[in-house]
Amino acid sequence: MIEFQNVSFAYEKDRPVLRDLSFRIGDGEAVGLIGANGAGKSTVMKLLLGLIAPTEGSILVDGIRVEKKSLPEIRRKLGFVLQNSDNQMFMPTVYEDMIFAPLNYGLSREEAERRVDTALERLGMQELKHRHNHRISGGEKRMAAIATILAMEPEAVLMDEPSSALDPCNRRRVINIIRELPQTKLITSHDLDMILDTCERVILLSGGRIVADGPADVILRDKALLEAHRMELPFCLAGR
Amino acid sequence: MNKMEKALHELSEMDELAAGASPIHRLCAPGKLLTTIAYIAVVLSFPKYDLSGLLVMLLYPVLLFQISGVSVGSFFYKLRIVLPLVMAVGLFNPFFDREILVTVGGLGVSGGVISMLTLMLKGVLCLMASYLLMATTPIDVLCAALRKFHVPGTLVTLLLLTYRYIGVMTEELATMTEAYHLRAPGQKGIHVSAWGSFLGQLLLRSMDRAEELYNSMLLRGYHEHFHYAPVKKCSLGDALCTFGCIAVFVLLRIWNVAELVGGLFVR
Amino acid sequence: MHMADALLAPAVAATMYVASGTAAGISLHKLKKDDDPAKLPTMAVTAALVFAGQMINYTIPGTGSSGHMCGGMLLSALLGPQAGFLSMVVILTIQCLLFGDGGLMALGANIWNMAFYGCFVGYYLIWRPIMKSGLFKGMGAKGGQRAKILLAAVLGCVITLQLGAFSVVLETSLSGITELPFGAFVALMQPIHLAIGLIEGLVTAAVLLFVFESRPELLRDADTSDDKVSARMSLKATIAILAVIVLLVGGGLSLLASGNPDGLEWALFGNAEEGYAENMGLDEEKFGIESDAADTAASIQETTALLPDYAFPDSDSPAGTSVSGVVGSAVVAGVAVLICLAGGFFRKKKKA
Repeated sequence: MIEFQNVSFAYEKDRPVLRDLSFRIGDGEAVGLIGANGAGKSTVMKLLLGLIAPTEGSILVDGIRVEKKSLPEIRRKLGFVLQNSDNQMFMPTVYEDMIFAPLNYGLSREEAERRVDTALERLGMQELKHRHNHRISGGEKRMAAIATILAMEPEAVLMDEPSSALDPCNRRRVINIIRELPQTKLITSHDLDMILDTCERVILLSGGRIVADGPADVILRDKALLEAHRMELPFCLAGR
Repeated sequence: MNKMEKALHELSEMDELAAGASPIHRLCAPGKLLTTIAYIAVVLSFPKYDLSGLLVMLLYPVLLFQISGVSVGSFFYKLRIVLPLVMAVGLFNPFFDREILVTVGGLGVSGGVISMLTLMLKGVLCLMASYLLMATTPIDVLCAALRKFHVPGTLVTLLLLTYRYIGVMTEELATMTEAYHLRAPGQKGIHVSAWGSFLGQLLLRSMDRAEELYNSMLLRGYHEHFHYAPVKKCSLGDALCTFGCIAVFVLLRIWNVAELVGGLFVR
Repeated sequence: MHMADALLAPAVAATMYVASGTAAGISLHKLKKDDDPAKLPTMAVTAALVFAGQMINYTIPGTGSSGHMCGGMLLSALLGPQAGFLSMVVILTIQCLLFGDGGLMALGANIWNMAFYGCFVGYYLIWRPIMKSGLFKGMGAKGGQRAKILLAAVLGCVITLQLGAFSVVLETSLSGITELPFGAFVALMQPIHLAIGLIEGLVTAAVLLFVFESRPELLRDADTSDDKVSARMSLKATIAILAVIVLLVGGGLSLLASGNPDGLEWALFGNAEEGYAENMGLDEEKFGIESDAADTAASIQETTALLPDYAFPDSDSPAGTSVSGVVGSAVVAGVAVLICLAGGFFRKKKKA
């Protein structure tokens, strides 16, 4: 589904952010992308979405190379949930935000409506449909942001810190939603417990390189590895 | 509560009101907009001494307040902005125009007093009309109505986006103001040393926010135009209601009903 | 400076709508031609920022009162005149619709008075010429830029606010709303707005200078070439100097006002206008001149005596002022009360 082939990226010459990144994510796989601040996680996301172009190497989504002319096709396959839901939800109501993408992709209003309703039903939040975006709570906003992405019916879902700033209850709700999504998933987070709960595979970035790539169960238990790269064991495994 | 929190409160109050379900809320938005504009235009066109004729126009907002169930309280709160200016201008009239126009119970009332009262009444009536429009019409529905009247899409989109981010920005500034005053107790406003950086910091952050927002639009297939909420079709009833109201306004402007009714009693 | 609906005759309101509509049309056309789709979100976020920013109180050094910012100059310096104008249009529309600030009919006039002057006049006649000029060459590249930003912002705010205030007077007078003679009205409005403009200019300059220090590429017409700083005048020092000038000018103005019969009118006006003054950008302490009832009465007498035999206002038939008019009005009031009672009755019934 997603493939990085020897990708490097630098905003300024001689100061590379990513160095020679290569990995593959298969259909339906759930992958956690972890690493300390500045490790290059969000750059990976931006590259994948075609918001910035790699200085070297190539990125493939569903076998299609990410480049300017393929962007509409690629972006249609990828749903990206931003960390700040306020930046994602720019229309006055939840409904209008949800229907924004389907209409832009040329669906009829009936079909778009159907998708909106399906997505809302799936998340069990029909009552939010006609609420105003600035009148809903932080937890509801995150849920609504996920709903806007599901209404696109993407093939892969990318999430940036989906559990940040949520109370325990809402965090659990988001985790359950993520687990139930059948799509390919790529999630960046510092919430390693959540990664452990939602992803079977983890990629650890450090200094713009991949330092580990393997089963979540193995990597997230490797105390020495994590601490060497400014991370620590998930709470549930720390045994405190 | 600081000023920004009050504004946020006002904003959500209007939202809540507009989400009501009275018969007025259900009328189609283009019709309501037209009626409101016609009402304000007719009110403004009354001559400055025609206080009794203008008074009849009060029945329209009173009727609307009652049918829609919108509270009058928050309307009076809004008056605080407009009325002082109107009063300031009108207050001079009694001094410059002292011709006695009418005597009530032996007390002479000058033209200036009447024109001042007319002016103030006009101020209240116009504000009432637009307040009632907004209290019974959600902003997204009104924007869709504006599109119906061929207001350019760019402007309507800008209006919607700005409306959305006014809540976000005001909240952010409210928090910043609070944080500022917690560290600078006793200061009434922002000290001169922070004049630039206070808003400037937020401005720079906002530019990044705008970029992220634009990316988020792009990622969801944005190209050139926005899609608006579907507009409820105006029914025949809506049309009749609109034109009926406008016709009544015009008739009230031509005939001074107060005068006619009063004539029945006096004669 | 928001005009209210009541202050405008329909014809004047319509004229101002046409004028502002034309300016908006031209701006939209230019925006379309530029074809920069990323501009729209930037405009929206900046407009929202200015909307919120107008609510910040800025302490004016040494006075205990505070000033505000309006935003026209700030927006056009950041976004360019057309995009700035449209952003102001949107801000004013939202203020009018949701906050009752201004009015639906007066919107055209308000856009003209505040957005048109602030953005187009402010940008094309003040900001750009000053920024492109060779002024302050002696202060080094960066220092010169700073001085130019300061000058352009202050001058821009003062001049555009003067134009706006004058337009308010003109529109109100043309509408035949006030009996106040045109000259006296002008004499009231202009000095107040001079002070407001100066403070707004300083605040705008402070924000723009901050942007210039951190991200100069965001400013229109600012020279972003990275020269070494030479004659650096600190932001604080510049503001302090200008604040002194403001105080001097303000003090001079108030002296002038109290030594002049117009000052009495000003006192009266300022008093009746507390809310207005606050809304306009100044707290009442500054202009709400502390006078008790006796003072006011005295000033009223003098004011009216100064302008005796003011001609009878042009003859509108005093139709509604006859006895039957008074009785009819009472009937109308009765009907209104009835409607309220009926409304209350039905609602209760519904609840039950």
